Order: sequence, then C-alpha cells, then structure tokens
Amino acid sequence: MTTAKLFFGALTGIAVFAASAVLAPATVSAEEVTLQLWSRADRSGPLRAGNIVAAADQLNRMLEATGSETRVAIEVFENNADGFDADALDLFKAFAVDRGPDIYVLAHEWIGAFVEEDLAFRLDEHIEANPELYDDIIDTLWASVAYKGGRYGIPQDSEIRMFFYDKEMLRQIGKDEAFIEGLPAMVESGEFTIYDMTDLAKEVVDGGAAEYGIVHRPNVGPDFQMLMKSFGIDQYDADEGKLQISETQLAAFFEWLKYSVDAGVIPANMTAWSWDEVHASFRTDKTAFIKFHGIWNVPAQLETRGLTDDTYFDAIGWTHSPAAEEGGEPANLSHPIIYAVSAKSEHPELAAYIVGLASQNYLNTEHAVTTGHTPINHGQAAMPRFIEEGWALRAGAPMLEYASFMPNHAMIGQYNAIVFTGIEAVETGRLEPKDAAAFVVEELQAELGDELIVLD
Amino acid sequence: MATTDPSSAAARRQLANMALFLGPATVLLFMFFIAPVVVDVFVAFTDMGRSLEVTEFTTANFERMLTNDSRIGPTMAVTFTYVLLTLGIFNVTFGLLLALATTAVPERSGAFFRAIWLLPRMSPSVVYALLWAWMIGPTDRGLINQVAVGWLGLEPIDVLSNQPMLLIVLANGFIGASMGMIIFTSAIRAIPEHLFHAARVDGAGPLAVTWHITLPALRWPLSFITVYQTLSLLVSFEYIWLITNGGPFYDTMVFALYVYKRAFENGQYAYGAALSLILVAIGIAASLFMWRLLDMQRLLQTPRIEVQ
Repeated sequence: MTTAKLFFGALTGIAVFAASAVLAPATVSAEEVTLQLWSRADRSGPLRAGNIVAAADQLNRMLEATGSETRVAIEVFENNADGFDADALDLFKAFAVDRGPDIYVLAHEWIGAFVEEDLAFRLDEHIEANPELYDDIIDTLWASVAYKGGRYGIPQDSEIRMFFYDKEMLRQIGKDEAFIEGLPAMVESGEFTIYDMTDLAKEVVDGGAAEYGIVHRPNVGPDFQMLMKSFGIDQYDADEGKLQISETQLAAFFEWLKYSVDAGVIPANMTAWSWDEVHASFRTDKTAFIKFHGIWNVPAQLETRGLTDDTYFDAIGWTHSPAAEEGGEPANLSHPIIYAVSAKSEHPELAAYIVGLASQNYLNTEHAVTTGHTPINHGQAAMPRFIEEGWALRAGAPMLEYASFMPNHAMIGQYNAIVFTGIEAVETGRLEPKDAAAFVVEELQAELGDELIVLD
Repeated sequence: MATTDPSSAAARRQLANMALFLGPATVLLFMFFIAPVVVDVFVAFTDMGRSLEVTEFTTANFERMLTNDSRIGPTMAVTFTYVLLTLGIFNVTFGLLLALATTAVPERSGAFFRAIWLLPRMSPSVVYALLWAWMIGPTDRGLINQVAVGWLGLEPIDVLSNQPMLLIVLANGFIGASMGMIIFTSAIRAIPEHLFHAARVDGAGPLAVTWHITLPALRWPLSFITVYQTLSLLVSFEYIWLITNGGPFYDTMVFALYVYKRAFENGQYAYGAALSLILVAIGIAASLFMWRLLDMQRLLQTPRIEVQ
C-alpha cells in the first residue's frame, strides 16, 4: 500500500510539475484583460454586442503588431428582457450584487437613472482627448447621452419612428396617386390632421381593403411619445430638470384614441395582442392599413412582403404622426441606443476606447445597414455599402427634422408605464378619456412626487 | 458506563433525538418561512430602490400605502373575487366531483381521467401559460379564433378583453382542481369497503351512499383543501402574470401581482415589501379564521382509540 501510495504521489507530482512548466510561459508574461459587456438580446440589433467584440479583436491585432503580450477579451452577457425598460432594471440588480458589466447597452432615456446611482462613467474628458474617434458623430445625437451637463455615453445608433401606411390599400379604395404620394407632404404642412388620418383609415376599413385601420405596439414603449407630441404634450421641463404633464392635453390625446377605437380603426383590444400578431398584421397578413413603429422594420417588411428597394415605396409610404389640429406641427420620435461605461469598472478608459473603436464608420455601418438603423457618423453616408444598402435610411433622414428624443430623466420609465395604463384603459373602454387623464395624473403624482410638474 | 448517571444519559439521548427529528424541519421553517418575513419587515422600513441600496430607515412606505395608493382597494376586490371563484368552482367543488366520478367508475378508466386532469399540473408553468396565450389570441392567429372565425364563420372571440376574470379562474382552476382530486380520492379509498356494501344491502342508491357515507368521511380533507388552497391562491400570481399581465387595465390585477409589479417592474423594492406585509397579515388572519370556522383543532387531536 505504502509503495503504491508513494508511486502515485510521485506520479502526480511529476504531472503537476510538467503541466506548470508547459503553462508557465504563457500565463506569466501574457496579460489578459477581461471586460464584461451587458447587452439586451434584441433581434433588431445583434451587432450592438457584436461590434464591441469586433472592436476588441481589432485592438488585439494592434497589440499583437506592437509585440505586446496583453490581450483584451470581451465576455458578453445577453439579457433576455422583454424591452429596454425591463433590461435596465435587470442591469440595476446586476450592479447591486457586484455583477455589473464594464460596458453596457442602454436605451438612452435611462442614462440619467444610472448617473444618479453612480454607475455611469463620465466620458467628457475621454471624448475631448480623442477627437479622432468622436469628432464625426452627428451633433444632435450627443443630446441623447447628456445628463446634468455631462456626457455619459456614446450614441450607438439612431432611428426614426413613423406611421407606415399601405399604399395598395389606398389604391383599392380608389384614391389617386396624387393623393397617395402627397399624403406625407400634407401631414408635414399641418393640413392633414391626426383625426383626418383616423377618418382615412376608417374609409380603408369600411371599403374592405383592411381589417384594422391603425395598429400600434401592445406594450409600454417609446412609440406613444410621438402621438403625445402631436397633441402638444412636452414631457420634460429642461430648465427645471423635471418631468411634466398637462391633464387637458393628455385628455385630448385620449379623446383621439377613443375616437379611433369607436370608429373601428384602432382595435379595442390592441393591448391584448402579442407582438407577433402586431407584426404579422402589417407584414405577412396585410390586414392593417397603418402601423406606427421604427424605421428598422423595413428589412423585415422587405422580406415578408417580397419587396425590393425598387418596389418598396410603391407599396408602403411613410409619414410623421400628424398634428392634432389643422396648422399644427407633426411629430416623430428618434430613440437612440447608447453604449455606457461603468463607473465601477476597473478599466474605464480601456472600455471607453473599445466603445470608441466600435463607433467608427465600418462597424457602425454594418449595424446600420443590416438592422435598418440610422448611422451615428456623418461619414457613413458616403460609404459605398451605405449608399448601396442604406437607401431606406437616406429616404428617412429628412424626417429627422421633426424628431424629438425622450427626456433623459431618471423616472421616465415609470412615467411611460403609467401613461400606458391610461392608453389601455381608454382603448378597452375601462375609463372615459377625461377620467383616464385624471387617473394618469394622479398616479404620476403619487409615483414621481416632486419630480413631476403638473401644468394644468 | 456504570458510573454514568442513567437519568442524565437518558436526558442527553432525548435531546439528541429532538435535535435529530425536529432539527431539519426547524431549520427549514426558519429559512423559508420565518426569515423571509423578517427580511420583508426590515426592507419595508427602508428606502430600498432599484439600485438595491439602503440609505435610511423610514416609515414613508407605510404612509404612502395608507394615504397615497388608490390601487390597493381595487386590487383587493379583484383578489377576493378571484380566490372565491377559483376555490368555490374548481379547487374544492370540481376537485370533489372529479374524485367522486373517478372513484365511481372502474379503476382503470378512473386512473386514466385522473391522469388527464394532472397534465396541466405537470407541464411547466410557462409552457402552460403560453399555450393559453396562444389559444386565446384575439386575432385569427389565436387557436379559438382559428376555429371560431376560420371554420365556423363567427365573430372573433376575445376572452382576454371581455372576460378576463373568467380566463384567470379557468387557467388556475384547471390546475388547482387536481390537488383536491388527489386528496379526496385517497380519502374515499380509505373508507372501509364494508360500509358501502352494508349501505347497498340496506337499499341505499348511489346518491344516498355518496351523501351518507362518502361525504361525511371527507369532512377533514375538505376543510384542509379549503384552508390550504385559499392561502396558496392568495399569493400565487404567475399564471395571471403570464396570461393577462393583470390587465386589461387593472381587471385581473390580484394583490400579489400588484406587489410584484411595484417591487420588480418599477424597482420599488421597499414599497413592495411594505405592501406584501398586507398579504402576510391577510394570510395569517384568513388561516386563523378558517381554523376556527372549520374546527381544525379537532383534526389534530390525539385519537381516542388505540391505532395499531
């Protein structure tokens, strides 16, 4: 027994020694810095994570060229959250138990909340020190990462939300081409109001060309803000840094919802639909006349409707959310996604550089053209790939003139969730528009306290 | 051994036995039943928000609960309706009917039908809920509407918007009924066979046998299922969350789901903790009340006859 023990002991010793001799040179001199990346698993933007990994690869090739043994590895965590709001809350939980990432992807309006909790690294110095990386970024996009005078993120993409309308259906009910093609201009000039849009949708439904007049997202999310904007609702008082609401304007918005539901244009049970049902109604089934959502729907529309870049605009038209009253301003929404660097990261500068590399023309264009998002750099518009594949984005760019962002206020997520309850109440007939507006204001006051200004 | 005091050795052994037999249960009780309540009370008096940090101890949550939360009343009303309907129609009544029916038919077919009713309980809750969601989809993509609209040419049926309470009672009841069914079946099986024969000899029909022999034997299982299922229905919300998400509007927002949403979908953990104390209080009050009402004390009394 003793001999056997000795024998196995010696054998183990030799094995361990040999293994360490083999591994030692690699583990001692090469340094691997691992950065963690948090991104929401999102079909409309897989390269938000992919581009960071590609940027780290690029950096590693640079390091290799210098003869350095240091390498950067990216550990990607893709969170399976329902939307960006749920994702942000999950991210908070991860940070609370010290599992926070070094780099994270965020819907821009959440940045304020992360700054307030000291979780976002201020990037002003880094941005100013590296004009080579950031000088070409479209100026207006910087507003999406700004909070209380600082910049806490790098814009990752941008987009345009709009009303998509089915031109074929208008032809079916006998509208002429001049009207069909002139609709966006009429909306832009303010002569065609959102009530006119409901009436038009009703004509399409009554004429048998569509089953549903207007469909919208079934859950909380940014799309409703452009409708609110059409009714003059401005959610943010920038001077005070507080959110705001007007009960009369909100009631006017809810009145229109009720008008559209009563007209059989918006389905009363819209909020009970699944996302699949919403998408299918405008893509495969073609049962809806108007859907309002983001420009990044275009690739899916092309595929499911069998369209090409030449035939797309024969079938589908784009317009802003029309003004509520004649002569008013139409509205649309841009909802940028951003990269932020954790203030708790051990390597915030390195993380910021990788984000900077991921934000250059080549990688960002890959994301932009494959997922239908507008670019972040001026220079991207001149790239051959963008010129070839980014026709839809170029067509959408002029719409940005009427775009607004969501405010970067820490409590905007709660604000939107409460407004959505009001939308649901009106559409399903649970509350009358006036009561729903009062309900929303009351809930907002209870929830947001001092952070809310009630205008009237 | 001879020098050891036999009484102290016996005392030691008794202690060791106590630790051995009661220890694991006590630890579990503490970890999963008492500790969570203690933690909940603690969190309820803090300002824990979405960053999970505690910066002060406060009674603000309770003030808000008492003065500034208009949803507590309505969600409570929904909860009572839901618990009462699910318990009354399915978990007790239908469970009992299933047990009576499946024990009255030949054993093999009885077991077959019981197995069918156990299926919903055996399927993972998310799968079960997704099946419901697909079934009731309000457009013609939903299963019910594929049949109703596609084959029968009816108007689309939208249970989710029009009968949301019925929907959550059905979805939970189909699962809940099987628990009662199993307990009642085993209780019926435990009734001595000769009682049934004697009743038949005396000329009793099936209804009389059920009324005079079976039901009296089910008194305690019925009480137990009522108490147990009331408590579990009060706090369970996962199917409601997955199928209706508490909607439309607040129509199926039971209190437990409301607490969950406040805490985990808004990141107001402290306020959620304070709200959930209401549930703890209701749970305790309901169980004490039913304990008295159904005279459960007698169930736990020492039997007056010797059991061998």
